[in-house]
Amino acid sequence: MALAGFESLKALIVEDNTHMRSLLRALLNSAGIKDIGEAINGLAGLEILRERKIDLVLTDLAMAPMDGLELTRHVRNDEKSPNPFVPIIMITGHTERYRVEAARDAGVTEFLAKPVTAHNLFARITEILERPRAFVRCESYFGPDRRRQEIENYAGPRRRAEELPDARVG
Amino acid sequence: MPRIRKLASGAQIIAPEAYPQMLSRPEAVRALLNLHSAETAAKAQVAMEAAIPPMRAAILRYVDEMEAAAHDLKKLFAITHEIRGFAETAGLITTGRIAEILCRYMDDMERAGKPLDTTIVTLHASAIARAARAEDDDVRTGEKVAAELAALVARRLAEAR
Repeated sequence: MALAGFESLKALIVEDNTHMRSLLRALLNSAGIKDIGEAINGLAGLEILRERKIDLVLTDLAMAPMDGLELTRHVRNDEKSPNPFVPIIMITGHTERYRVEAARDAGVTEFLAKPVTAHNLFARITEILERPRAFVRCESYFGPDRRRQEIENYAGPRRRAEELPDARVG
Repeated sequence: MPRIRKLASGAQIIAPEAYPQMLSRPEAVRALLNLHSAETAAKAQVAMEAAIPPMRAAILRYVDEMEAAAHDLKKLFAITHEIRGFAETAGLITTGRIAEILCRYMDDMERAGKPLDTTIVTLHASAIARAARAEDDDVRTGEKVAAELAALVARRLAEAR
């Protein structure tokens, strides 16, 4: 039955571990995503992004010679970036807060902590489809809005963490 | 709501309607239905199960490499990080948890600019190897070992601060 909705979607997996690449490919396949490119580091991923139209990027964080953070910064900020708005899901075992914040500040759309499960991966894709984020462009940042929610009737210049009961690190 | 708003600070807010989306709206609706269907869940389950044997074999190879790299802490950290990355996906819960504790310890000590206690590293490496090589993932025993190692690491990190 042809209902996938993902027929036209082109995904890219950037991951240096062959087993994780295989698993991610198999999970995307199971959801009906068939057109999937693979790269073993950020540099190779960037080349694919320049050569082909890509609609979704899944990237690891720690890779050499270019890691997932640098890849994300290039995608978001390079003058010749083919799609600075492309959704980027960062998948990593590095879940320390400072690394999550670094990923957010680089411009990733979603952060997925290993171990990878189908449920968690599909939840991130669902989030991108159901609630696409606004983008912010300012002097020091271009990427998805790092604030997850708007506060109605708030007109002040600053937002504090304690005023955001359900705020999540983006 | 305008598609592109300019704030007083000069920052621009670009609404989702103003930039190309991953899928068109009709495609996204079908994709969401598909993503949450029982058929997709069953296929994903098969994919996860098929991944386990090669991942377990890979973890055993990493464990051999980890033991061989006992005196090369940078390499040991890199290997432990790989183990932490997919041990739990491979069903090796205890292995993954102990690898997680060791990675956090090594990472925190490096950030604090403090030398590693090689006894702690050796204890964890040994526990990771034993857990990975055990035929069954003995979660209860493993959790006890992981908890004791975590407590040891917490004490050493507190001392280091």
